[in-house]
Amino acid sequence: MEEAENVSAKSSQDGTGTPAVSSPMTGPGEAGLPDARSTEAGTADTAPADTAAADTAPADAAAAPANTRNTGPGRLLIAVYAVFAISATARAGYQILTKFSEAPLAYLLSAFAAVVYVVATVSLAKPGRTAFKVSVVAVLVELVGVLVVGALSVFDSVNFPHETVWSLFGRGYGFIPLLLPILGLIWLYRRRPAPLKA
Amino acid sequence: MDAYFYIILVVGLLSTIICVAAGIMKKAPNDTTILSVAAVELSLLVYLVGSVVRVASGEQIAGEPWEFWGYLATALLLPIGAVYWAILERTRWSNFVLAAVGVTALVMAARMNQIWY
Repeated sequence: MEEAENVSAKSSQDGTGTPAVSSPMTGPGEAGLPDARSTEAGTADTAPADTAAADTAPADAAAAPANTRNTGPGRLLIAVYAVFAISATARAGYQILTKFSEAPLAYLLSAFAAVVYVVATVSLAKPGRTAFKVSVVAVLVELVGVLVVGALSVFDSVNFPHETVWSLFGRGYGFIPLLLPILGLIWLYRRRPAPLKA
Repeated sequence: MDAYFYIILVVGLLSTIICVAAGIMKKAPNDTTILSVAAVELSLLVYLVGSVVRVASGEQIAGEPWEFWGYLATALLLPIGAVYWAILERTRWSNFVLAAVGVTALVMAARMNQIWY
């Protein structure tokens, strides 16, 4: 993984290596040319408000490209999150529309999981500090959710029919729901925004 | 499990293997990996056409028909979305994104088979 990260830093256009995160002060020179490329990718899904917030200070503008998580391994993470967002939403929608009265709690939990995945997908794809915070919360909620629901479905299988994404620690989905928040937190930690200057 | 599933099984696994290999070899998405994903899309289209013909000729879907078509429609969008997402930033990681298409299509095809029979 360590090696992989370094390689990606070389091959991706904005130098995604960890150093870029911890040192926003490296100066505009280093970020000069690659920036154009990464901003172009970033603005595609950036609300105008976000861009404005990111550009409050020149230093911030230079740090902005580093303040994204939709690059390198992050793209794979977002893609997997997107697949889970779609499948969890579809599944919850199906359960609630067709057989909600059978197990309201489990199906509401399904819907909740779907919302968490959607929020995580969108916030991971967006640059900026706010998106980062939202991502951390969403991924933490996801981790707690998969652990609590997973444990409940094992120890109290009568009241927790195995019908949510998180049941049995996500066994029905190859344990990816358990793995995803851990990888997500690692990724978020590695790409955390630089501390604000007073 | 019918022939449509096995087609997607083979094509999907091949595509995943090709894309993972390309990712491990530190290559950006290229013609080979993108075409392998296109092959997954093609086999899903074959499934679509075959299913339309079967329903038109009077065959019944055992499960919920709209669930089946929902899965199929989503599966058809998947390769397109993945290729779009992958070519926006052409790094080795994008090949792993493409690799996810084959397995996902495979799982969805298995579920579609369950619904049909």
